[in-house]
Amino acid sequence: MILYDYILSPDCYKVRLLAALTGTKITLRPVDFHPGGEHKTATFLAMNPSGTIPIFEDDGLILTESSAILTYLAAKTGPTWLGDDTPEMRGRVAQWLAFSQRLSASIGKARVHDMLNKPADIEACRKAGTQCLREIEAALVDQRLAGHDFLAGDRPTIADLACFPHSMLAPDGGISVDPYPSIRLWTRRVRALPGFIEMPGIHRLHDLKPEPGPIPERV
Amino acid sequence: MTDNPMLNEWYPVGILTELTSEGRDTLLMGEPIHVARDAGGNPVVATKDGRCLPVRARYGHVWTSLGTPAKELFDIPEADQPGRRLVDVGVVRVKCSPLRAVENFLDIAHFPFVHTDILGAEPHTEVQRYEVQIREEVDEVWATKVKFYQPQAAKSAEGGITTDYMYRVPAPTVSILYKTCPPRPGEWDVITLFVQPMAEDLCQVWPWMALFDDQTPMTDLIHFQQMIFLQDRSILENQLPRLLPLDPGMEIPTRADMTSVAYRRWLKRHGFTYGAQLVAA
Amino acid sequence: MPQNWTAVALSRDVPPQVVIPTVVEGRELAVWRSQSGRIAAWEDRCPHRGMRLSHGFVRGEALSCIYHGWSYNEAGLCQRIPAHPDLVPPDAIRVPTLTAAESDGIIWVTAESTDRPPPKMPGFTPLRSLTVEVPASTITAVSASPIGEDGDLRLALAGIACLLLVQPLPGDRTALHALVAAGTSPTAQASVSRALEDLRHQAETERQAA
Repeated sequence: MILYDYILSPDCYKVRLLAALTGTKITLRPVDFHPGGEHKTATFLAMNPSGTIPIFEDDGLILTESSAILTYLAAKTGPTWLGDDTPEMRGRVAQWLAFSQRLSASIGKARVHDMLNKPADIEACRKAGTQCLREIEAALVDQRLAGHDFLAGDRPTIADLACFPHSMLAPDGGISVDPYPSIRLWTRRVRALPGFIEMPGIHRLHDLKPEPGPIPERV
Repeated sequence: MTDNPMLNEWYPVGILTELTSEGRDTLLMGEPIHVARDAGGNPVVATKDGRCLPVRARYGHVWTSLGTPAKELFDIPEADQPGRRLVDVGVVRVKCSPLRAVENFLDIAHFPFVHTDILGAEPHTEVQRYEVQIREEVDEVWATKVKFYQPQAAKSAEGGITTDYMYRVPAPTVSILYKTCPPRPGEWDVITLFVQPMAEDLCQVWPWMALFDDQTPMTDLIHFQQMIFLQDRSILENQLPRLLPLDPGMEIPTRADMTSVAYRRWLKRHGFTYGAQLVAA
Repeated sequence: MPQNWTAVALSRDVPPQVVIPTVVEGRELAVWRSQSGRIAAWEDRCPHRGMRLSHGFVRGEALSCIYHGWSYNEAGLCQRIPAHPDLVPPDAIRVPTLTAAESDGIIWVTAESTDRPPPKMPGFTPLRSLTVEVPASTITAVSASPIGEDGDLRLALAGIACLLLVQPLPGDRTALHALVAAGTSPTAQASVSRALEDLRHQAETERQAA
């Protein structure tokens, strides 16, 4: 399994994260997205005409949408990440996978604009990104009232992994995450999962480790 | 702003290999400028009202100045040393003071918390005493004999090592780091942070490296450095005040911060205060 | 006597080891809960390099800055500097603290010294907080309800008695900490949550029209 990868891409990170959480070894092929623009070269366009990353390759199968890659990787290596097979949960997971495209199109765009100077209608991206975060916050309140900790149910699924990175990286694009207490607690739950890995802008939870040394004593 | 000594300094405004004839607009200390290449392939930089600015093409980047530089662009002798790979890491924009970006680059004590398991890790947090001086003959800030334990110091490093560092500040928004070179003991890898001040609280950072590393693919080298700098970015955008406080009292340094103390003193001495705050607000 | 407590969050939204940023009377604060459950409100700024402490992490009864790991004890006193693990930090390294208290599932903060305990909200249970991009005056106008002495705005949402604790934020924004009548079923609470979204929508639309 090969992932054509960019260290700063939330959509690539989702795939790396699921692989880490399921203990799956995937081969990473770094793509010079910035500054090189390698994903727009003929070699890459031949693999993915839309000129985007991630690109995922396994045994002749090529997938280029992060939600599709998450679905495939989960089915192959950790089916519990797909959720249970009730119609409700399948619907919910599919709902959030589709929703995550809105996050990429708003927060994702604002982020590469503010960080890497890529063109974007920045005010429109921020407005749409804020709307997305409000919808996630409201959904998490509903989930809590129904007794569930995660987006699609009472356990983490690829729905959470699809929406978690952009929800944390919004400040990179000038979108505040301060007003969303439920998102804050949910992203902490994701970061506390065994096997969790970080990406730049998404810190690990240092509080999971004990203080490494004694407190110097005051005399 | 005419008495601003920072106007007469050199600043990076683009990567040489990325220049186009139509060029691109950017901002230098609040002034809109246009960076392009002419028919002969040479970089040209002009202000909005058509004033041509002085230009240097060096260290992979285009350098310019809004004023009249009294000094030639600083020298990095290692840039011409055979066998080194020169890496243009690519621009990253940060909503912070250009001086805070440099100061963060001079700091090692944050490695275990911001670059966890890469440049540092608990419990190896101690910063040993090192030496700092303002070298009067070259008018640069230098920190030497800096040592720190690193789990993965470079892309080419396997496992943890104690890494040696030297830091050098040859210009107010430039920092050069010399660091243990795992494949070539005795030599130093060169990692720089070139900072373009766009406004007092907004900058573009152009990291550049000159490394002895024949093994690691170029893209891996770029990604490693981008990963490190982007971990810093979320810190830099959340420091209060946004401007670097030059007067003592606003922030509390310790022995580990000697480089920062010298840098701030040097900035103040030269009146390099664009991006700084002099009186505690 | 004007009330001097400001509601900043629901207790449930700041469980042990969680830090949140907030603003009270223009002061940027980090509100956090220790592992044993103690709630605190501090200036949101590490004295070392000015990093926001709301990005920090909680171990035991101390809050640490994410930048260099400096940790501060319950009193706001720096207790450990990882770069110098054996050093006893001087007393001068201290984070300014405010008074925080909890009452009926709400976290209250005051910037003044006070003998008065935070207000009680008998008969109500906390639901959720949400931020509205309008000043408090627009919310009172839209809801046609005045703000009471404790910063409380009483109204019916989805046919259920509700109480909104109003926290003014900089930039003409307002946080609303919503409580519903005790005993409201989860399903009805979900309806109130949606009604709150609608109230926000109305207030922001009103603001744009104005």
